[in-house]
Amino acid sequence: MDVSEFRTGLRAWLEDNDLTPGPDGSLAGQVEQLGRVRRALFDAGWMRYGWPEHVGGLGGPAVLRAVLGEEIASRELAPPNFYALIEVLVPTMIDYARPELAAEMVPRLLNGDEQWCQGFSEPGSGSDLASLSTRAEQRGDTWVVNGQKVWTSLAQFAQRCVLLARTGPGHGGITAFFLDMDTPGITVRPILAMHGEEEFCEVFFDDVVIPADRLLGKVGDGWAVAGSVLPFERSTSFWHRINHLYARFDHLLAEAVDPDEGALGATYLGLHTARCRSHGTQRRLADGLPLGPETSVDKVLLGTSEQHLYDTVRELLPGAVELTDSQWRPEYLYSRAATIYGGSSEIQRNIIARRLLGLGKE
Amino acid sequence: MDAAERDLLGQSLRKIMTSTAAGPALDGELTDLGWPELLAELPEVAVPLVFGLLGETGTVASVLNDVILAAAGQDIGGTTTLPYAGGSWLVWDRDVEPPAEAGAESSGPTGAFAVLDPALPLRRVEAGEPLVESALAAGRRALGWWLVGSGRAMLALAREHALARAQFGRPIASFQAVRHKLAETLVALEGAEATLLLASDDFSSLLAKAAAGQAALTAAKHCQQVLAGIGYTTEHALHHHIERVLVLDGLLGSSKQLTKQIGATLRRDQVAPRYAHL
Ligand SMILES: Cc1cc2nc3c(=O)[nH]c(=O)nc-3n(C[C@H](O)[C@H](O)[C@H](O)COP(=O)(O)OP(=O)(O)OC[C@H]3O[C@@H](n4cnc5c(N)ncnc54)[C@H](O)[C@@H]3O)c2cc1C
Repeated sequence: MDVSEFRTGLRAWLEDNDLTPGPDGSLAGQVEQLGRVRRALFDAGWMRYGWPEHVGGLGGPAVLRAVLGEEIASRELAPPNFYALIEVLVPTMIDYARPELAAEMVPRLLNGDEQWCQGFSEPGSGSDLASLSTRAEQRGDTWVVNGQKVWTSLAQFAQRCVLLARTGPGHGGITAFFLDMDTPGITVRPILAMHGEEEFCEVFFDDVVIPADRLLGKVGDGWAVAGSVLPFERSTSFWHRINHLYARFDHLLAEAVDPDEGALGATYLGLHTARCRSHGTQRRLADGLPLGPETSVDKVLLGTSEQHLYDTVRELLPGAVELTDSQWRPEYLYSRAATIYGGSSEIQRNIIARRLLGLGKE
Repeated sequence: MDAAERDLLGQSLRKIMTSTAAGPALDGELTDLGWPELLAELPEVAVPLVFGLLGETGTVASVLNDVILAAAGQDIGGTTTLPYAGGSWLVWDRDVEPPAEAGAESSGPTGAFAVLDPALPLRRVEAGEPLVESALAAGRRALGWWLVGSGRAMLALAREHALARAQFGRPIASFQAVRHKLAETLVALEGAEATLLLASDDFSSLLAKAAAGQAALTAAKHCQQVLAGIGYTTEHALHHHIERVLVLDGLLGSSKQLTKQIGATLRRDQVAPRYAHL
């Protein structure tokens, strides 16, 4: 299956199968819609392309996943950030989980039966992720986890969690686990985010027992596991997001009250720039080249252009964000996080300075 | 042309650009190297290489004329009137020797017109002939590559300075404010280059010129700040690049003007065009 064949078939299928979201725009409604979209796409096969057969996929190049995300995002069928979570979770499972575990679990995420979450950040460890202190201790055939995670997106809906915990000192003392969220000892407390939804949670671990066969990689591989989410987060999942932003920009064009052409042009130019850059990154991935620190450039361009878009929305639709409860309000607010999550813009600039410009240590 | 051949061509170009005097002498060397044939047969390789290197090396040739003439289906080797931001018309003269010393005025035929960057043989004329769209687009892509090349030259100078200059007992490259300015410069230049690589039709060429102009101005601002006092002198090379990008940004439409034009087009069409397809 090549890209154009896939796209043509998918478009025809989407014509015949209406997946338009219902009126419930709440977080629970969005999660429900996400499950519905995944289920329908999985049953029809579209969701399975680009993933290997041994995890329930139908094979083919990874770029097919980017095309699928683009078509979904362009039609605004699913919230892009949640939809794209698959891209940061499944590749990790493929690379690091026991093959039987990956084969059992991955289809449940792809087919919409389950939600998973990513438990990396802690109250004391955000940008400095390597300082995390949630502990995992070996007891016989099991590991026992104690500690706390925070900002864990969708944890209240999740059946599983990719968790980082400390098993020793330093970078080599971090280990990754694949955890069932219904394990005794886990407490999830949703946090109301600024855009009015309980987007993420605090997750507390009190003597939570994880079987040893739920290790991702070996003991001490956690830092590599954390790094392994990068390539697809920075390619496929960015592509989804960019296409979502284009769709929203079209709405802005239709609704803009203030015809400020300079502002519209500058906003579009930012999106176009991020899109062109991301396109180049995907080409490199498709050619089998490794992705590394240069994707920090993509991250800064995307975060900046996303905020620029919503700044322009607020300027050209006066009052829409502040005085109406249209979709623009939560989206505007959510865009403020675009330079924070997934490694803040400052952290990206640090990486660019050190690794791409060779400026030495701070 | 494969990657190895392209590298080789790049090396030859860089060599003549760094060893030949700017202006007519360099024009001659480029012709000897096969510029007319390259432009006719492989413009997608030749234009990014030649114009990117004009920027990086800081030299000047009059090949912009050729790019525009060729795209308009005319013979190369001559000149044509070029629109400049604000409604001016210019001619990029071919046989003008650049001024011998920094800061001197161009010896352009009219003599009366002082360009900020005296190494550019630009002459103001009363009126001009609007360029056909494809010629305008080709010229914008070429200037885009030149602007990004100049931006990279400025970034290289600022980076070198940041590593060499010590204050408060350590290299200024260790200060985060300095590092982030240079990182932002690279982000802008890389982004602009991505738009140039995907510039195909008239509108995407306009977008690329706007992105490149903006990126070069960002580079100028940040690099000037990092080079500080020394960068403000005419004893340091930075000012040549800054003056150049200020002038080139306005040629065939400034980033500001083009950005407005982008917005006007979008408003008219009511849809944001998607370039860069997977
Ligand atoms: C909407 C949203 C969803 C999220 N979802 C998840 C999730 O699902 N799972 C998960 O694990 N995490 C998640 N996060 C957490 C996110 O990864 C962190 O917020 C992020 O890594 C930053 O950490 P912090 O908030 O602790 O800020 P801090 O690290 O405390 O940083 C505060 C400020 O200081 C700056 N700063 C920090 N260090 C440096 C430095 N060395 N140089 C320069 N500046 C610096 C930062 O850029 C920032 O501006 C989410 C966050 C948000 C906002």
